[in-house]
Order: sequence, then C-alpha cells, then structure tokens
Amino acid sequence: MNKIVKLAVVLGVISAIAGGILAGVYQFTAPVIEARNQAALKAGLLEVFPGNYKFSELKIKLKSPDPAVTFGKIYKVEDSSGNLVGMILDVTTPGDQAPIEMLVGVNRNGTINGVKILKSLETPGLGANASNPHYYVNKKKKITFLGQFKGKKVTDPFIPKKDVIAITGATITSTAVSRGVKAAGVAAYEYMQKAGGS
Amino acid sequence: MKDKLKIIWNGIVPSNPVLILAIGLCSVVAVTNFVKNALLMSFAFSFVLILSEVIVSSIRKWIPDEIRVPIFVVVIATFTTIAALLSHAYFPSVYDAIKLYILLVVVNCIIIGRAEAFAYKNGVFDSLLDGIGMSLGYSWVIITIAVIRELFGNGTIANIRVMPHIYQPALIMILPPAGFLVLGVLVGWLEWSLKKKKEAKK
Repeated sequence: MNKIVKLAVVLGVISAIAGGILAGVYQFTAPVIEARNQAALKAGLLEVFPGNYKFSELKIKLKSPDPAVTFGKIYKVEDSSGNLVGMILDVTTPGDQAPIEMLVGVNRNGTINGVKILKSLETPGLGANASNPHYYVNKKKKITFLGQFKGKKVTDPFIPKKDVIAITGATITSTAVSRGVKAAGVAAYEYMQKAGGS
Repeated sequence: MKDKLKIIWNGIVPSNPVLILAIGLCSVVAVTNFVKNALLMSFAFSFVLILSEVIVSSIRKWIPDEIRVPIFVVVIATFTTIAALLSHAYFPSVYDAIKLYILLVVVNCIIIGRAEAFAYKNGVFDSLLDGIGMSLGYSWVIITIAVIRELFGNGTIANIRVMPHIYQPALIMILPPAGFLVLGVLVGWLEWSLKKKKEAKK
C-alpha cells in the first residue's frame, strides 16, 4: 500500500511540474499565435478584396445551397463611405484528402472578386497547385487556378473542364474548389439582394 | 575525451537511429518531401530528444523502476508540447504542413528508446552527448533525403529553384513512395560502405 502511494506521489509531482512549465510556455506563446492568426486573416481578406475597404464580421448564418459545402465566418466589405461593396465568406469544401478552407469574396453585382485558400492538405505537385501562385492554368495570360474565378458570374455552372480550367491531374481538387466558390457566390449574392442597400 | 566523442559519433553513424537502428521511420517518410519540413522537424526532434535525455538522466535516481515509462512519457510530452507551441508561434506555415508529425514526436520510438536505454543508465553529461549525437544522426539523414526528394520532385532546394525551368519534376519524388525508395537506397549505401571499410581493415 505504502509503495503505491509513493509511486502516485512521484508521478503526481512530476506531472504537476510539467503542467506548470507548460502553462508558462502557453502564456508566452498564446498572444504571438493569436496575433499571427489575426494578421493572416487580415492579409487574406485584403487578398480577396484588395483596396481601401473596411471589413467587419457579420453575425448571420447563411444556408449553403450545396450540402457538401459549409460556411464559417462571414464578413461584409464596405467602402470608405459605408456602402456595401461585397461579402467575404469563409468556406469549407471537401478536398481530396482533407477539407479545404478558403476565403471567397463576392461582389455586390454577383461576380466573384477573389478566392484564397487558407488551409488544405492536397497532394504536393498536383492538387496543391490550386494555391501555387506560379502555377498557371493559362500560361499566356498568367492566370492562376484561383485567379480564373475573378469576375466570374455566380450564375455560371462552375464545372471543371467546362467553364473552369481544371488543374492537370487534380480533378477532385478542381471540382471541390469550384463547388465551394459557386456555393459561396450564390448564397452571398442572394443575401445581398435581399439586404438591399443596408 | 575520446570516449566522449565516441558517444556523439555513435549516434551519427554506427548506431544511426534512422539508417542502422531503423526506428521511428514513419515520420521520416512523411516530413522529407520538402527541405523546410525536414529542417523544422530536425529542430523539434533535437529539442525534445536532448532536453528529455538531460532531464531523465538528472532525475533518474528518484524515478521508481515500476513507473519509469509513464515518467518518460510525461517528460517527453512536455517538451514536445513546448516545441509545438514555439513552432506554431514562430514558423506558422511550416507548422501547418507538418503539425501532426511534430505532435507525434511524443511517441517517436527513438526518443523513448534513448531515454530507456541510455539516459536512465548514464550521467547527465553523457546523456547530453548521446542526445546531441542521436539528433545529428537523425537530422543529417532526413535533411539529405529531403534535399534529394525536393530537388528531383520539385526542382528546388529549400524553395530555391536549382533545376532549370525546362526540367519536368518527377512528382513521385515528393509523394510518399519515394520516401521509402530514397531511404532504402541510403540504408544500402551506408551498409555497403561500412562493410567495405571493415574488409579493408582486415
């Protein structure tokens, strides 16, 4: 009995010390990690809506028209005089290996303004080219896979090999991204039409 | 002095954890597709291994034999979490790519193996040297594999283009199968050269 108590005490003391050290390191790194996440988010928002705009989070829920695609946070984009210019949706779409998280910017007139992939685990050299800034689906005009969505109408079909140029060897990724962009575009456009000028 | 150096050398070649002992191979295959992944993994691994060996050897007199493995795990898990938090804070993009494998350093058999086989039986200084040797042994192997794989699979080394643009990268090199291929070739090469050296001595 005595032995068991001793073992428990030793293990308990060591675990407590370890826990204390971890708490200290966490306190130290948590603000850095948080600041990095905020900066990355800000940079992402600016990338899908470049220009002198104001971004603010909208506390609404939008229903995705595509059952496989889900929406996270939603931001509205306003110009300096407070007019609604468009919306940005945080979209999660099922990728080839793991869900792809991306930001989709939708203009008020129903076109896509920009797309940025935040997180993905696609195959290096194939699906990962979706977010590669040097991989061009149109080499002459230097248009990247995500770049081709800019200016596209949300009413377009968004089907790879039809109106979307697919990434070579990565049809699943191309389809997943296209579906996500389409769903976000349709939902955001619908909302903005209903919301009117506000 | 000579046997101290021998402890370090032991980890680099004669008991290289990856090529000779052949343990902890799953993360080796996974993180060697790009040099930056291999570098971060080397740092995380060395940090955890060296500090765990030092701590385990310095408290080894108070560790009851029956619960030594749980104590090793607590020590290793603490350093792994610290390494993960620091990587997340200061190398966020690389951390996102290999997060899983950094966290899995906890159950990496090289580390728990060295804690049990070396640090638990030797002094603090020797354990420090063993940790350094094993870390160097692990790092040079995974960085070499990563350089080969990234060069042929992506035409770059540490994201710097080396191959001319005309070179069409062999995608298989950055996909998992090539991890086994390159590792196998390295194991064969090391065994062959050690054998040759032995025969030359005779």
